[in-house]
Amino acid sequence: MRTLFIVTIILYAAAVILQFTGTAFKKERLLKLSWLVFLAAFAVHLLFTIVRGVAAKRIPLSNQFEFANAFAWGVALMLIVIRRRLKADWLSVAAMPMALLILTYAALQPMEIRDLMPALRSAWFGIHIGSAVLSYAAFVLAGSVGLRYVLLARRNGAEEESRLRQMDYLSYRLVAFGFLFLTVVILSGAIWAEQAWSAFWTWDPKEVWALITWIIYAVYLHLRLRGKRRGAAMAWYLVVAVPVVLFTFAGVNTLLPGLHSYG
Amino acid sequence: MKKALRFIRSMRFGILLLVLIALCSVVGSLIPQDKAVSWYAQNYGSLHGVILMLRLHRIFQSWYFIALLVLLCLNLTLCSLVRIVSVVRDRRRVVARTAALPDQVRLSAEGVQRLRRHLEDIRCRRETIGEAEVYRKNAVGRYGSFLIHLSILLVVLFGAAALYLPQVVDRTCLPGESVVMDDGTEISVDAFHIEDVTGRLDYSSRIRIRLPDGRNSEWVDIRVNHPLAFGSWKVYQQTYGTAGSVTVTNLADGGSDDFTLTDTALLSLDGASGLWYEAVYPDYLLDPSGNMTLVTSTTGRYEHPVYQVLLASDGNLRPILVFPGEELEAGGLRFRFNEPIEYPGLRIKRTPTVINALLIASFVLMLVGLYIAFFMPPVLIKTDAEGYAVGGLKPEGMRIKLDELLQEYRREE
Ligand code: HEM
Repeated sequence: MRTLFIVTIILYAAAVILQFTGTAFKKERLLKLSWLVFLAAFAVHLLFTIVRGVAAKRIPLSNQFEFANAFAWGVALMLIVIRRRLKADWLSVAAMPMALLILTYAALQPMEIRDLMPALRSAWFGIHIGSAVLSYAAFVLAGSVGLRYVLLARRNGAEEESRLRQMDYLSYRLVAFGFLFLTVVILSGAIWAEQAWSAFWTWDPKEVWALITWIIYAVYLHLRLRGKRRGAAMAWYLVVAVPVVLFTFAGVNTLLPGLHSYG
Repeated sequence: MKKALRFIRSMRFGILLLVLIALCSVVGSLIPQDKAVSWYAQNYGSLHGVILMLRLHRIFQSWYFIALLVLLCLNLTLCSLVRIVSVVRDRRRVVARTAALPDQVRLSAEGVQRLRRHLEDIRCRRETIGEAEVYRKNAVGRYGSFLIHLSILLVVLFGAAALYLPQVVDRTCLPGESVVMDDGTEISVDAFHIEDVTGRLDYSSRIRIRLPDGRNSEWVDIRVNHPLAFGSWKVYQQTYGTAGSVTVTNLADGGSDDFTLTDTALLSLDGASGLWYEAVYPDYLLDPSGNMTLVTSTTGRYEHPVYQVLLASDGNLRPILVFPGEELEAGGLRFRFNEPIEYPGLRIKRTPTVINALLIASFVLMLVGLYIAFFMPPVLIKTDAEGYAVGGLKPEGMRIKLDELLQEYRREE
């Protein structure tokens, strides 16, 4: 099983390197190859995750390793869906390294399969953590789109103008999707907390950072509604928000003690 | 005055409040909350005065944090009210207004036909107004954001009620015994175990709730994530403890009694000689020279329990370690040490049931609102012989989609 994981990482890394080289030297063939390698990485990644779930006899989402693994997979999945539906090939340069980065973080976590601790044995487990994977992945991709936007906005021609508008709208859609699922995370977490610990909300650091992330994206949605601030400023906003998402995902557990420190 | 009111209901003020709430939350997560005052003195040195003065150690209960929440509710109420009134009032006018829009994109006659076919394919309704045909869909999308803001208000209100109204007490209860609450409700524990049949850790109590009016719940196994709710009560498996179990026999008359001991206690006929029960420990370690060290804590069941007692006779106290199955005699009594008894710590909560139901209904409303706002944007498109225009509150998505369609069409041509 370890081998599958290592193959996954190597394939993602190869895809990223090919993507960078292809972009730098403007070689279409390298870019195509990069995408094929990426699809292969994604397939092996899926296989690894299924094998792990079968070996553990549960949804493989219960510790930092498994969560990070699913998070990277979620980013890859969304990249594939978006590229297919919107022909947004330009997204790969920013999004592929994100998937690789998160998977590398997973590789640094203890990987052994452990019995699910009693507090996590609940029907809410899959909904709560599955939604978190989708939501964080969407925010990370929105940040990637933001990054592409900022880079492209330096040039300004008519063609870029229409591309920029599409990018801005795509990042808004991603935020909307992520925001809906982050809301599911917070609300299902509240119901679960009441079942497990008797209170809907305890101001535990993980809860608080989920709320902070939620507010950050609510502010984005409203700034965007106000209309004056589209474009580069909003794209920067999404780029800067990504570290907050990553902190909520990984930093809180390691740096701030609380009920969610499940190792 | 009017200006102040306009500011209070403005989105700018709403955003400001959200940012301030987020900042307080950052502070509240970085400074551990609700510790003893001395803890802050130890860990923050001279800064601890500032922390206490600004109530940063209980920031989520501080007056200013609560004031921010109250202001947010006020802002949300006013801004949603003003907005919903105009959205409802405008609901008919938007169609006419869209019909009157000048074309934003020009199309050939065939282009217009294709567009109309496309709009019918995605199930838009058609309305003819003068020269124009207006296609529309998802009128409900106009109300998504109202539902979101309404539900946020309800979540804050019912959430506060659900956090502050319940009475919560933690009680331990030995198997076979009951706890009686103030109103006469009786919670009985039949059995408790730490591991399930496969030996996996699984703290679970078999309990029953009897209400003052005589109604009983079933006997139910509660464990983490599976509390028992009955009437307005909810009982959680919270913690557990291990009690000593000693059978005491009166050597004079042969009568005997079982004692379950959770605290230090003197078992004696005359109040002087007998047995001082101290504690029971989960396990022990022996070093190579045979000295015993007691293991003071464990998760799960006690592997090799050891009793620590003092034998009181003739005016002196002798400390002794005893294993289950062993016996001691003193003061005319025989003490037989049994396997220790595991017992649960229960968390007992009483909430008006309706509050939880209302809170969860508000959660559902929020998700419905978000879905409608994001995934059912209102579509309003005017077409005429020469082109089309996209109208409505959120035209952006449709404009981009039709742009793409147009490009595809041109490429085909
Ligand atoms: C916790 C606080 C809040 C959250 C989570 C929230 C969330 C949202 C969401 C998700 C939308 C829909 C955005 C879209 O469709 O793109 C929205 C729209 C809106 N919000 Fe908020 N909001 C909050 C507070 C406020 C406050 C305090 C105000 C105002 C004073 C406000 C005013 C508006 C307005 C005017 C709209 C646009 C309505 C429309 O297009 O129909 N919001 N909000």
